[in-house]
Amino acid sequence: MSAAARPDRLIYMANQIARFFDDQPGDAAAGVAQHLKSFWDPQMRAEIVAWRAAGGEGLDPVAREAVGRLV
Amino acid sequence: MARVLEFDLGTPETVGEPIGLTIDGAAVTVPEGTSILRAAAVAGIAIPKLCATDSLDAFGSCRLCLVEIEGRAGTPAACATPVAPGMAVRTRSAQLDRVRRNVIELYLSDHAAHPDRGECELCAQAAALGVRGSRYAGGAAHDGLPCDESNPYFVFDPARCIVCSRCVRACDEVQGTLALTIEGRGFASKVSAGQDELFLSSECVSCGACVQACPTEALVEKAVLEVGPPDRSEVTTCGYCGVGCTFKAELRDDRLVRMVPWKDGKANHGHSCVKGRFAWGYASHRERVLEPMIRTSIGEPWRTVSWDEAIAHTAAEFARIEARYGAHAIGGITSSRCTNEETYLVQKMIRARFGVNNVDTCARVCHSPTGYGLKTTLGTSAGTQDFDSVEQADVIVVIGANPTDGHPVFASRMKQRLRALSEGGGGAKLIVIDPRRIDLVRTPHVRAAHHLALRPGTNVAVLVALAHVIVTEGLIDEAFVRERCAIEDFQAWAEHVAGPEHSPEATEAVTGVPAGELRAAARLYATGGAAAIYYGLGVTEHSQGSTAVMAIANLAMATGNLGKPGVGVNPLRGQNNVQGACDMGSFPHELTGYRHVSDEATRALFEAAWGAPIDPEPGLRIPNMLDAAVAGRFKALYVQGEDILQSDPNTKHVAAGLAAMECVVIHDLFLNETANYGHVFLPGSTFLEKDGTFTNAERRIQRVRRVIPPKNGFEDWEITQKLSTALGYPMAYEHPSQIMDEIARLTPTFASVSYDLLEREGSVQWPCNAAAPAGTPVMHLERFVRGLGKFVVTEYLATDEKVGPRFPLLLTTGRILSQYNVGAQTRRTENVVWHEEDVLEIHPHDAEERGVRERDWVQLASRAGSTTLRARITDRVAPGVVYTTFHHPSTQANVVTTDYSDWATNCPEYKVTAVQVAPSNGPTDWQERYEAMSARSRRIAPEPAE
Amino acid sequence: MTRVYVPRDSAALAVGAEAVAHAFVAAGCEVVRTGSRGLFWLEPLVEVETPEGRRAFGPATPGDVAAILAGGSPLALGDMAAHPWLAAQNRLTFARCGVVDPLVAPAFDALARAREMGPDALIAAVTASGLRGRGGAGFPVGVKWRTVREAAGEHKYVVCNADEGDSGTFADRMLMEGDPFALIEGLAIAAFAVGAGKGFVYSRSEYPHANATFAAAIETARTKGLLGSFDIELRVGAGAYVCGEETALLESLEGRRGQVRAKPPLPAHRGLFGRPTAVNNVLSLATVPWIVLNGGEAYAALGTGRSRGTMPIQLAGNVARPGLYEAPFGLTLREIVEDIGGGAATGRPVRAVQCGGPLGAYFPPALFDTPYDYEAFAARDGLIGHGGIVVFDDTVDMAAQARFALEFCAIESCGKCTPCRIGSTRGVETLDRVRAGVDVAGGLALVEDLCETLKFGSLCALGGFTPYPVMSAIRHFPEDFAFRPDGGGT
Repeated sequence: MSAAARPDRLIYMANQIARFFDDQPGDAAAGVAQHLKSFWDPQMRAEIVAWRAAGGEGLDPVAREAVGRLV
Repeated sequence: MARVLEFDLGTPETVGEPIGLTIDGAAVTVPEGTSILRAAAVAGIAIPKLCATDSLDAFGSCRLCLVEIEGRAGTPAACATPVAPGMAVRTRSAQLDRVRRNVIELYLSDHAAHPDRGECELCAQAAALGVRGSRYAGGAAHDGLPCDESNPYFVFDPARCIVCSRCVRACDEVQGTLALTIEGRGFASKVSAGQDELFLSSECVSCGACVQACPTEALVEKAVLEVGPPDRSEVTTCGYCGVGCTFKAELRDDRLVRMVPWKDGKANHGHSCVKGRFAWGYASHRERVLEPMIRTSIGEPWRTVSWDEAIAHTAAEFARIEARYGAHAIGGITSSRCTNEETYLVQKMIRARFGVNNVDTCARVCHSPTGYGLKTTLGTSAGTQDFDSVEQADVIVVIGANPTDGHPVFASRMKQRLRALSEGGGGAKLIVIDPRRIDLVRTPHVRAAHHLALRPGTNVAVLVALAHVIVTEGLIDEAFVRERCAIEDFQAWAEHVAGPEHSPEATEAVTGVPAGELRAAARLYATGGAAAIYYGLGVTEHSQGSTAVMAIANLAMATGNLGKPGVGVNPLRGQNNVQGACDMGSFPHELTGYRHVSDEATRALFEAAWGAPIDPEPGLRIPNMLDAAVAGRFKALYVQGEDILQSDPNTKHVAAGLAAMECVVIHDLFLNETANYGHVFLPGSTFLEKDGTFTNAERRIQRVRRVIPPKNGFEDWEITQKLSTALGYPMAYEHPSQIMDEIARLTPTFASVSYDLLEREGSVQWPCNAAAPAGTPVMHLERFVRGLGKFVVTEYLATDEKVGPRFPLLLTTGRILSQYNVGAQTRRTENVVWHEEDVLEIHPHDAEERGVRERDWVQLASRAGSTTLRARITDRVAPGVVYTTFHHPSTQANVVTTDYSDWATNCPEYKVTAVQVAPSNGPTDWQERYEAMSARSRRIAPEPAE
Repeated sequence: MTRVYVPRDSAALAVGAEAVAHAFVAAGCEVVRTGSRGLFWLEPLVEVETPEGRRAFGPATPGDVAAILAGGSPLALGDMAAHPWLAAQNRLTFARCGVVDPLVAPAFDALARAREMGPDALIAAVTASGLRGRGGAGFPVGVKWRTVREAAGEHKYVVCNADEGDSGTFADRMLMEGDPFALIEGLAIAAFAVGAGKGFVYSRSEYPHANATFAAAIETARTKGLLGSFDIELRVGAGAYVCGEETALLESLEGRRGQVRAKPPLPAHRGLFGRPTAVNNVLSLATVPWIVLNGGEAYAALGTGRSRGTMPIQLAGNVARPGLYEAPFGLTLREIVEDIGGGAATGRPVRAVQCGGPLGAYFPPALFDTPYDYEAFAARDGLIGHGGIVVFDDTVDMAAQARFALEFCAIESCGKCTPCRIGSTRGVETLDRVRAGVDVAGGLALVEDLCETLKFGSLCALGGFTPYPVMSAIRHFPEDFAFRPDGGGT
């Protein structure tokens, strides 16, 4: 499967995580980034990072910010 | 091994000040409240008895235990008379002997002759008192009344019954079902199931308590009649649910005759349910696969091979896949049905041999949100209490759990506590939060104070509304919060929940819970004394599962309901060893004891012990593995004891993932549904055939003992060990105790655990280490494991699974008493008489609208798929909600569940699916296609001629 | 308009009081329905109000009405207060019964007085009165109340045992039909004494009239606010004798099978719904208002030995003058049977009397000088019980009576304890063999063994007391147990 295919499920999951941390006090993106580091396998992280690099369509702002910090 | 015999002290243990007395001149000291009967038994003086047994309250009906007490008139019954200071008791006199012998004569005059299997207490008492016959013989008798053989597991023969009511009392006091009664009066008194019904058609739940209580084998297991009385026994732990009942497995030669609950079992205290007590016949079911099998593709029939060939083939396949796709294409799934030691070995093999963390377990689909939520808020991924704690609760909250079906033995204890309320004994009040009217809401002598029948998927909204009431009405336990919790987090949380948008009135439209009812429940929880929350998969299996767990922890912290007996946050865990599987490092991000793989010190410890590098990055979770497989990146899977095809959501997606893999290794008892997609089948051993440990829902580590040799030849840990060795990572354990020793060395919370300790203590609850050498019944006593308790803001977010014109109903799923999960075991026992098929519960209103009648076939469709099953019309479910179980593969309820999942853990959202229901005339296309594929896939090639 | 008093008591209704009442109404009279005065051989006993007071006639039929109203009936009995059978009595408990309209609430003076006294003084007065439980056990009422009062617990109950099942007894029924407010007031006083908020009256389905009257009286008391915050609930049992046993009664009240509980715990400690409970008989409770108003000492001044006060004796069976006779303890059995009862109704010699219900001993005439008090009776293995006395003439077959006692036990056994459940049936079977002449000596020895087991081994008084009628019949009338081919009486 090519890297260009839209990783719908990962985008959905990232946005879901972002919605939780968005309600927490403090730096939401940091919370999301830490969650992704703790629970996502590196291939999944690489895929979402690549997607963001390619424009990141579909990623909510907090998720986008957090994925950006994974690099 | 000899027969393990239990000594019956006659009446239950009591707690109280020591009281000194003399019995037949011997000085005895026992706690206040002890009966004379028990005091005598403790002193080694056996007073004759028949109706008394130490699992039941004194009844005083047989009149054999009469004694004389100095200074008191008459001959009181020793069972019903408590000791008093300085009391002088005489257990023998000419008159007492005469009366006792006469009572035995009366009994014998209505006790049919029977073969002596040494189990009839009446015959034993007659012999002890020297009574050989009855002068009253020849009169009216119960001989000739029909024997009730309706229950598949036991018979009731009124001709042998002495109407001591032990069965009736066990049904009442131990089980709490009250199915049995005495029908008629006087001589015509007769034990009866319900209104003169057969046991099978009555309310009887077949827990076996009555059979165990019967002194005369009037109630006896059919297996005892068929095989004969047992001649040896072994104490072990049940392999079904997370309650972890201790059983005495009784055998005659090498044949299992019966499983009898063990009085000293610390989780069950001598009680059992229909599954653990009776449903063990699957172990010798004809469909059990005992020889390894392989095939090149899933289109071929299976080929039976030797163990050596199977192991070598698997190792070669894994090596090939590793070489071609890399180690990250390989993973394993550990089993919550297997022992701690076996689980540990599977994850060790994956991590140490392949250098990846692609290991997960079935907790993924049940209590992974518990792990995340409780670790985040309290600091450890486990329930806070022991089961005994429920006896000190004043308020019991049950959220998204159905204990009478899912955790029946614990439910009986919970019911005892709830019933005490109406019986004047202190008792607890009950709050049920569940879309469905579970049995506990209304059961004999129990009425829930509040049933919040919320819309499926709105747990967090309800929990936050409860918090809103507690905060805004000033019901916070401020001293507890100030001392034990991080105060800034508390303030942020309190401010959040106090918002008017979170009031019960504001959220009523979403949750469907009347605001007044919710407020009253919140007040009761906060102010009703010690309040304990018990929850199940109705909390976790949602897109906000982890959020809901944290919302529950918030409530408990805010009201000071943690760190003492009678309170707590208590997940009712599903599988026998789901707690243990999680403890043992089965999650892809954690090593044993919930330590993250990124932690260098932990990794260093394991790397030194295992002699292999550990990947510092988390591995794939089950759904991620399946996604990766569909995407072509994941190729080989070792599945020990789990049927992911039937149990995981969105069956079509699971099937696609499995079909995309090149080597699926099924290590199981039966050709399960997942095996339809398997390339290697490694026969597994049952819990009866192995040594090891299980850890139950209260963190209790208990021994599993080998009762019979493995029919497949090996215990499961031996098979994993063979595979690992063949893969080039040798393992050479000689006994599971050595594996536990390694676990203890590497896991601080298990540091003091050893098989020797378990032999001595019976069982221990982790943490068990230098700081808590006897284990830890109640956690977080002085401080939380994480230090200060952390309040987490839990904003309700509606699931994306929404009802609409196409799918206007909400489906939620659950379990029933007689079947267990995917039914691989229980469907292969006589338990099927209680539940032949999964049915769809639908409210009369919704049924009417669709022209659906009772027992009609209906199609249940969601955007993921559709299936057909029969309808049951009931108001247990609210209008707009339908419910089914997932025990039968022919139904495949998970064809309709979606791949939405918990945001934090990917635990599937089983509990909310938007569906439509329509009358149907037969199976769906999927069901037909799958059935055909399954039949094809299960073919086994005939043995080549010699 | 002439006012006439006609009883609505079941005993009067059974002999036609309803038709008599209708006849008086048809004759243009104002009819007031009362309870019975307890002279059953004179029922229906009607009283006509005259300027000189109430004048009685009985037994009246509708055909007598005209003559009665005309003043020329031969049934005239004059002023009942002066009637020798009543005048000789000492009616405290039954003072109003048969006189007043049972549905007109009197002032609860005794309850008011009890409240002034406070619970401690109240219980002290009841203790001083020497009042013992009239249900049969004879346990001091004051002592029981003290125990309940001192038992720990927020919720307590008072329960009135109105499950009057003894053969030949009817005092509870008479009182509930004739003066229900005496019981209601007594119950309210008991509740005040022990600290109970709720009272139950456990009656029996065989008493439809008593239940209707009592239910109406409770409603009146409630509506008139006579009870304050206290409330009373009437429950009706389903016909099991054993539910008159207090623990079986509590089981039944809780909605369970009426089965005896092992004691301890005593109901006073853990009774109804596990809470401290005072269980008292109708007569005990209905006597309390008199004691409160007149003082414990006044009550204790009556009676003999440790049997203080009066006992409502109920005469039944083969007796010339059946009815209720309330008198202080101490009369001899002969005075009661011969002088008060007038001997057997058949005119034949009295051969036996059974005192204290179906489980009481049979007394032969040789023991008729026994004084009627708890201790004197106990000394002769006899029972005062609930005050019933059943008279038999010389045609009685005492072996059949012994069998009847065991059969009664077998029929009424709750089935819990072995001696009673199996033993009663075995006893009947054995006596049948004895009466058929099969191994008479062996059978009687076995019955004696069985009676020892029943007496010492039974869980409650049903099995425990069955030996009394059986063994007293065997002991005092051995000739009836010798085999007779015709099986008939002497």
